[in-house]
Amino acid sequence: MSSGADSFVFQYLAPFVGVLLIAVGIAGAVPGGYAVIEPDLENCGNPTIGVEEPERTAERFSEGGPGPRLPQLAFEDLSSAEQTAFLTAVDDPVGEEQVVGSVPNADAFRRGAVVTYEGEQYYVTIVAENTCFAAAPLQFPLGVFAIALGFLGVLAPPLYRRLVRLDQRAGRSN
Amino acid sequence: MLNRAIVEGTALAVLALAVLFLWVREQRKARPESDGGYTTREEIEFEIGRIQSELYRWLTTTDHRDIGLLYIAFGTAAGLWGGTDAMMLRTELLTPPADIWTPETYNALFTTHGLTMLIFFVLPVFFGIGNYVLPLLIGADDMAFPRVNAVGFWLLPPALILVRMGLMIQVLGQVLNLVLPADAIRFFLTMREVSVGWTLYAPLSVQQPNPQIDLLLLGLHLSGIATTVGAINFITTIVYERGEGVSWANLDIFSWNMLVTSGIALFAFPLLGSALVMLLLDRNLGTAFFATEGGGAILWQHLFWFWGHPEVYILFLPATGLMSLILPKFVGRRLFGYQFIVYSTLGLGVLSFGVWAHHMFTTSADPRVKLSFMAVSIAIAVPSAIKVFNWITTMWEGDIRLTAPFILCAGGIGTFIIGGVTGVFLAVIPVDILYHGTYYVVGHFHLIVVSIIPFLMIAASYYWYPLITGRWYDTRMARFQALLIVFGSFVTFMTLLVIGGLGLPRRQAIYPPEYQFAQQIATVGGYVIGLSALLWLYNMLVSYWRGTPVTTTDPWGLKATNQFTREWQWFEQRMMDKYDMEPTEPETTRRSYAPEAEPTGLAGGVGNVAQTVSRNAWMAAAGGFVGTVLMSGGLITAILIGVLDPVSFGEIAELVGLPATPAVGAVLFLVGGTVTWPLLFLAFSDYLPGRLLFETGLVFATLISSGFAIAFYTGQSGLGFVGYLAFVLVSHWAYGIGLTVTFQYLKSDEALRTRTDGGG
Repeated sequence: MSSGADSFVFQYLAPFVGVLLIAVGIAGAVPGGYAVIEPDLENCGNPTIGVEEPERTAERFSEGGPGPRLPQLAFEDLSSAEQTAFLTAVDDPVGEEQVVGSVPNADAFRRGAVVTYEGEQYYVTIVAENTCFAAAPLQFPLGVFAIALGFLGVLAPPLYRRLVRLDQRAGRSN
Repeated sequence: MLNRAIVEGTALAVLALAVLFLWVREQRKARPESDGGYTTREEIEFEIGRIQSELYRWLTTTDHRDIGLLYIAFGTAAGLWGGTDAMMLRTELLTPPADIWTPETYNALFTTHGLTMLIFFVLPVFFGIGNYVLPLLIGADDMAFPRVNAVGFWLLPPALILVRMGLMIQVLGQVLNLVLPADAIRFFLTMREVSVGWTLYAPLSVQQPNPQIDLLLLGLHLSGIATTVGAINFITTIVYERGEGVSWANLDIFSWNMLVTSGIALFAFPLLGSALVMLLLDRNLGTAFFATEGGGAILWQHLFWFWGHPEVYILFLPATGLMSLILPKFVGRRLFGYQFIVYSTLGLGVLSFGVWAHHMFTTSADPRVKLSFMAVSIAIAVPSAIKVFNWITTMWEGDIRLTAPFILCAGGIGTFIIGGVTGVFLAVIPVDILYHGTYYVVGHFHLIVVSIIPFLMIAASYYWYPLITGRWYDTRMARFQALLIVFGSFVTFMTLLVIGGLGLPRRQAIYPPEYQFAQQIATVGGYVIGLSALLWLYNMLVSYWRGTPVTTTDPWGLKATNQFTREWQWFEQRMMDKYDMEPTEPETTRRSYAPEAEPTGLAGGVGNVAQTVSRNAWMAAAGGFVGTVLMSGGLITAILIGVLDPVSFGEIAELVGLPATPAVGAVLFLVGGTVTWPLLFLAFSDYLPGRLLFETGLVFATLISSGFAIAFYTGQSGLGFVGYLAFVLVSHWAYGIGLTVTFQYLKSDEALRTRTDGGG
């Protein structure tokens, strides 16, 4: 398996540079490609809200007198997307859910807001912004190109050995 | 955000299918070809029967070598799984915001990465290596308790499944959700991977409602039982099963290390089990072991690290044992200071239980207690340093053979020195308070756990590959892979040390933008490590069927340096019994190299000068045409993605007084590539570097690409400019290769015809 002529450049350097190119290519192509398909794949740009249960909320704001001056919102003040996310988060074991749709109360949630629902108070915050991923348009094609070129580099040793054999065949007449 | 379950599930499935495909393909290739016909029912039944009996054998085996291979296969699979986690979390860190995975997914990734790698990758692989070679090294027939040995292994797969069930259930839930309503499969959509960090600190691990944490605790407990059982087996085997002539004074160094490792495991793992049970009780039955009103959250840290730090040495000592065993074989010298290395191993075994609180220097523990832990933590560097100095002294003035195992040993020593010295700094309380919870810590311990530990696993896999399989692996690829993993580890973790030194906190999906470039370097380094691991896997799998069979009883030429140890003696006996081989005499033989091919020189050939010139000219033109067509592929791609402007071709046409259209320019370009440049190449090739013609062609193409890059430049900038230069260069390389390979092909064809016609 290890026969053939030796050349540092083609046996070691080319595949080494090739692997580096593949690694850099993956780093470019994965985020670059993701930026291209993300809007079609999922809901980005809308935050994930975290909802604390009423007991925890009461515990959080019970000490310290009159309480924090946080935005106070009624469940009815929320948009339908916010309401859906709120209800799902209340049932969720981790207490988090991404909003799907418009988030008019985003600023209030960002600061932390108390939402009143069926007489209970829930502390609501934003736990992740879920910003849409942005990348340079050329990042994906150049990344793919680097991966392809890198593979060529990794395959350089066997190709080199073939070319050596070809060269030897061509030189037999001399 | 990307869907972690789908991405990771797909990646693992692709990896598993690729391994299966490779294995089956190579196996089929290795079999003798049938002379046609079609498969009969009997053949299918026979094949199914064969697979059934193989399966039964592997499921019920108690042979130490089989169990060793099972451990290694399991550990490798777990390592690839944990490695996939690592690749994913490094991908997240390519950008400062959390915009590829959510922060919670990122937390889950580093949690599962840590647990999978430490408990299900490193330990099983070392137990596997120990199972396979330790009885051979000490002259035992098998392990002391073969059935218990099998049970110890078979506890691990369910343990891994329990620990990583979150991902499986997430994948299953999302698949079921395609056909079933969410309410019907609420359970599958509720479970998720644990995201509290691999150290499972209370109170977070007590309070987080994710039920997967309970399964994880059960899985870890099961793995602890498996490890304890294995440790008892190793201790008993080494104490009671040694063959004739194997005393404590000449017990090989790897067995010493496995003995001490097993001793540590025997004391550490039951304690982990107790702590896990307490945490389970706190979570489910309302006990207060780790509640503020009860034992307190710090109690968990004490119990956890009383297992956790010895665990570090459980992982590290087998690697040092392998280093002490393998390194001397490739430097032609016996291990320097055998006795001191044994003492240092025993010292590490004892001291490892006296340093756990250095993980807790930033807690509220009594400063005087912390001071004693600081003293022991600094002291533990001494036995480690003894090992390092003895390894270096072993290499000193040795006859070094630059094989893959040696490269990994040398790389392991280098990275261990850096990893170890950075640990000495962290042992000092004021420094630790500064660096606690930063990437400096991540860099420090990864320079050990992704350097000397896997390096020596891989070195062992190469060193004993002929012994296990009776075949050679691809040695050149192995050397390359070894260099690659050393390079990747160094780049990745040195970068982490630097950004940690600058104060960047670990375990954060979001980081300040000024660290982006450093994080990208670390990620690329991480990908290099991942790719090198895949190369290793490919080499191991393919060589099993395709590797050159071993034709000597002393594959590494160890007799020449009087290092033909017991496992190789066993191998020799096996080769003699199985193949009637003669024992190899101790004489060093070098691989014979084929004489270097000389460049043929273009003026060479048959016939007079005019004939030669004209023949060479048309061959070069044909080569030029092929090269230009190949080059056009690259250039068209560059135009399509927008880094090359076709208008520039029009300008070329204008330059020679033709209409400035890209089509005319392209035709001119083809003519130039077919006629002008090949002739220039013929004229200059003798004065350009390159032993072989295609090398000269590549040099020529690189030179002329600079002219092209200037002539066709139309104001690209930034990434566009990088892409433009890259495509120009690669297209020209394609031209150079096309030109020279076609030329040589035609020339060799002509030479062949000349010979068959009676010429030459």
